[in-house]
Amino acid sequence: MNGSRKSGLVALALVLVFFASWEAAVRFFGVPVYILPSPSRTFVTLATNPEMYLQASALTLGESLAGLLIGVLTGGLLAILLTLLPGLEGGVMTLAILMKSTPLVAIAPLLTIWLGFGVVPKIVITALMTFFPVLVNVLSGLQHVDPALTDLFHSWNASRWEVFRHLRLPTALPFLFAALKISAPLALIGAVVAEWTGASGGLGRTMWLAYTNLNLPYLFAAIFILAAGGMSLFRLLGWLERKVVFWLPDSRES
Amino acid sequence: MRKNFWLLVSFVLVLAACTPTAATPAATEPVSTPLAEPTAVEQSPTTVVTEPSPTPAELLPMTFMAGYKPQANLPFVGVYVAKAKGFFEEEGLDVTVEHSAGQGQHLQLLSAGTIQVTNQDAAVLLQRRADPGLPLVAIALLGQKGQQAYAALKSSGIESPKDWEGHTVGYKGTPPPDLFALISAAGADKDKIKLVNVGFDPRLLTEGKVDVYPVFKSNEPYMIQSWGYDLNLWAAEDFGVPSLGLTYVTSEEILKTQPELLTRFLRGALRGIQYAAEHPDEAIEITLTYTGPETDPAHMRFMLDAELKDAQSDLTAENGWGWQTQEQWQALADMLKTEGLPVEDDISGAFTTQILEAARGK
Repeated sequence: MNGSRKSGLVALALVLVFFASWEAAVRFFGVPVYILPSPSRTFVTLATNPEMYLQASALTLGESLAGLLIGVLTGGLLAILLTLLPGLEGGVMTLAILMKSTPLVAIAPLLTIWLGFGVVPKIVITALMTFFPVLVNVLSGLQHVDPALTDLFHSWNASRWEVFRHLRLPTALPFLFAALKISAPLALIGAVVAEWTGASGGLGRTMWLAYTNLNLPYLFAAIFILAAGGMSLFRLLGWLERKVVFWLPDSRES
Repeated sequence: MRKNFWLLVSFVLVLAACTPTAATPAATEPVSTPLAEPTAVEQSPTTVVTEPSPTPAELLPMTFMAGYKPQANLPFVGVYVAKAKGFFEEEGLDVTVEHSAGQGQHLQLLSAGTIQVTNQDAAVLLQRRADPGLPLVAIALLGQKGQQAYAALKSSGIESPKDWEGHTVGYKGTPPPDLFALISAAGADKDKIKLVNVGFDPRLLTEGKVDVYPVFKSNEPYMIQSWGYDLNLWAAEDFGVPSLGLTYVTSEEILKTQPELLTRFLRGALRGIQYAAEHPDEAIEITLTYTGPETDPAHMRFMLDAELKDAQSDLTAENGWGWQTQEQWQALADMLKTEGLPVEDDISGAFTTQILEAARGK
């Protein structure tokens, strides 16, 4: 416990040092605000438009989480399917990599044309962005079962379902969390990229408008929110992981 | 074993079937929530009449898509004002305003019939008609002069396009035809000029990464001057190169099937422009309800003033806002052709005064 509080303090100190040096550099070198705004100015912008940023963040977060949910379910279920039907792995993975390699900024406007101005294209893009890390990680988790344990299960005459439920799934869980820690911050980026290419709300639209006006405090305020959001999601997943995968030693306590 | 396996498969299938259901509430719910700009009256294009109006007459729904983000471009302001002041309603129209993120999305949607009117630069319109053959027709020419100019910092000592030789000149995306026409009209050698793609970022000029930066006359000069820099500006028309600006544009299909709708739209929008010219402060206030707090009101006023100025010519003095002639379009087409760009041999289909005349005739 003491150790975790200490590491929290260290993290806080590092963040403060980072912001302080940024602030000092901007003031010392007289960097114009249209090149790089100071953190203080950015926080003031944030504080003077709370309602606007709250609305934008809620919309972006909603799109991100909906997309993440679809992405994780798709990736996870595909991984399970490929474990059960290994013959499909080559074909499905080829398709998945094909999708993964498609630059989403290029297809984002197309999705708007097909799916309209609403939130659906944003959710689709987020899902496309997040499913791949889950697929790859969970698949490798389901496949990398300790052979000694497999032998043990077989000696107990365990059914395929029992092997899956009591051996493969628990082995894959830490892999799932590793994937989630990658996918969750990606989900925020996915929603923002989608909004950047045409939306009537959300942080991505705020950032795009701020950029086309070269109003950088507004742009950076949105970046701060995204950074804080990504960090919170990451921490939340870490906490959840310790609760769910309780049998693994906590790296922080070792 | 076998039974358990199939049990699992059906479990997986049930889960998979659940996936879209789980997503649906999230996917549909926020559509109706008021977004960042509650004043931009969000009305679904499918609703016929919802606005509480004294006249319970059936309003005809239509969509205008502004070709870029919300700002004080004259075609946008005309529509914003006409909507806010009830000019469209008086015409029996319920106009929904959408904004394109750029990348030609608005032209795709117009060609697909999703929207009825958008705006487009005249030179780009001519090129898109020839290749890939989009069925675009300009119903009013607001920009009697082109929107583009080239800017250098006054402190750079670059006094004319002749001085561009030996310097770096930026362009956005692809070098526009008026750039080369301007260079040759000014007697400069284009082989001695280094061209680079700069995208939208006027900071490249103030930070000295390029010597000459392409601007929209009504936009970046305000930003750069507000940062404390003085500019030298050159526009194609200053060197006798024909240039035209933004048009209201529709598709051939809509022109053929719904000329009455277009006439009412144009009458309302031009009235909006006239109102903006007479009451610029109020027009900017209305525009700001679309742009959001990221936008500087003084910047918008600069944009409106600059575009109002370029929307006036001897032709419009005689015939009203948005007038256009075969001579104007032909001169532009000839310039594009000289620069090796695709243009139709007969450009008479690219514009029409039919709607303008009908709108004036009331």
